[in-house]
Amino acid sequence: MAPDPGMLDPGLRQKLGMNLAAVFARASVRVKASFRESSWVIGETVFPFLAMSAFVLVYRGLHAPREYEGFVVLGGAMIAYWNNVIWGMASQFFWEREQGQLQLYLITPVSRMSILIGMALGGIAMTTTRAVAILTGGILLYHVSFPLSRALPALGLFVLTLGAAYSLGMILSSLFLLWGREVWHTAAILQEPIYLLSGFYFPVSAMGLVVAVAGSILPVTLGLDGIRQVFYGPAAHGLLPLPWIPPIQIALTLFFLYIARRMLRYMENLGKHEGRLTVRGD
Amino acid sequence: MKRLAQILRASAWLGWQVEANWAEPILFLVYAIAKPLATTLILYFMVRVVSHGSATAETFRYIFIGNTFFLYVTEVLIGISWTVFRDREDYETLKYIYVAPLRLLPYLLGRAFTRVATATVGVLVALLFGRLVLGLSIGVPGTNWALVAAAVVLGIVGVLWLGIILAGTSLVVARHSMNLNEGLSGLFFLLCGAIFPLDVLPRWARAISLALPFTYWLELLRRMLTGRGFAASLAAMNDGDLWRVIGLSTVVLCALAFLWFHTCERIARGRGLIDWKSNY
Repeated sequence: MAPDPGMLDPGLRQKLGMNLAAVFARASVRVKASFRESSWVIGETVFPFLAMSAFVLVYRGLHAPREYEGFVVLGGAMIAYWNNVIWGMASQFFWEREQGQLQLYLITPVSRMSILIGMALGGIAMTTTRAVAILTGGILLYHVSFPLSRALPALGLFVLTLGAAYSLGMILSSLFLLWGREVWHTAAILQEPIYLLSGFYFPVSAMGLVVAVAGSILPVTLGLDGIRQVFYGPAAHGLLPLPWIPPIQIALTLFFLYIARRMLRYMENLGKHEGRLTVRGD
Repeated sequence: MKRLAQILRASAWLGWQVEANWAEPILFLVYAIAKPLATTLILYFMVRVVSHGSATAETFRYIFIGNTFFLYVTEVLIGISWTVFRDREDYETLKYIYVAPLRLLPYLLGRAFTRVATATVGVLVALLFGRLVLGLSIGVPGTNWALVAAAVVLGIVGVLWLGIILAGTSLVVARHSMNLNEGLSGLFFLLCGAIFPLDVLPRWARAISLALPFTYWLELLRRMLTGRGFAASLAAMNDGDLWRVIGLSTVVLCALAFLWFHTCERIARGRGLIDWKSNY
């Protein structure tokens, strides 16, 4: 008996349904896992706050204006997302390969992009608990003020920034897909040096125009710069005029998504040719 | 002793292979120094942006020294406990190490050598960077460099034993608890006053800070390298007092580490956790 043609080539509606289900499934695993281990919740909220506090106290020790402490708290919240992009997005396919799950993803009839989008949405939900803890701690313990009247535009810019940052994470995940132990070191090198280049703890313009503009290829740099400008105005020592930042973030998101899709396909094919998609313990 | 030296040498060699043989030495060096240099520059710009380049060179020197030597705490402390998770769950080799004719504790100490070595490279490069690029004076005419080296070594020994305590804990907890180990390093970074004077801490936090050996270690190194103290809270203590506190706390850490590690090892074996996989 000939197979039902509908089974071989699902229609657009069915494809969309399957991909949306994949996004939801991948995101929900991440959200549930993040609350499964109490140590994880504490490790993801309390301790990063303590590390950030050290940088708040540097400014306090230097008797800096109070808005600088706000810069650090905002930077600390953004670091939570950046670290999730690195460890939860970029490195994720590497982990999946190490655990023998990557091949399961590859044989499913859904787009790899759906899985990545699910990981991103789950990661954002998971990381938001950490970012909220950092912001709340900053407000309550260090009396950092964020004018409530400017919260909405800041939130809008923040959402655009996350879109661009997680799209960049998708590109990195395809790069990390085939790597071995260099994943650890590359992920690590994308932390402190990026904290520097993106000005997580100080206005990025302090590094000079050339370095700051070079750092702006990372969406978190411009996003953080813009959010600080929204909250603190000229005191934020912004790099680019605020109205320029949202269109740049949207353009970066579209560009990164396009590159991610191409890269993912290319790296997957490369992995198949080199037989590296199932290598474990590298 | 000969057997112990063999184990330390073999596990140090293994640690080096695991950490470093994926890249050319130059590339590995770049990776090793990226973090300390980046953190140094972050602090440099933080100080510069609020001071507008004036009158804070001395303050930055204290921050720089504290931050640079704290690299040992971050690298070694996290490195040892991470070895347990990596061997147990990623490489799945901890069970083989366990059934080999060697004890786990010296094996982990040997594995830590690579971390000590990479941290040392990072510290040395950061010090050179501070001296040559940022123009900081490291050391004063009266600095006794042999004593500085001895203080650094004593501090590393303390960090190693604290790392063993965390490694013991890692034997009985899931890998997510790595966050706690990393968090502990962040907690020390905050409470030891690595990058700010202790005196800006609230009174209760300062009391905790004064119970931590690394607070005294960083103060001693600052005094040796700048000729003056940084923390007003420790001004009443002379250098000899600081040496005594660091020495005594290292001995206490060593005893605690032995007891705690062997207890955790016994629990891990009793509960069948030596080959536990918890990475979901």
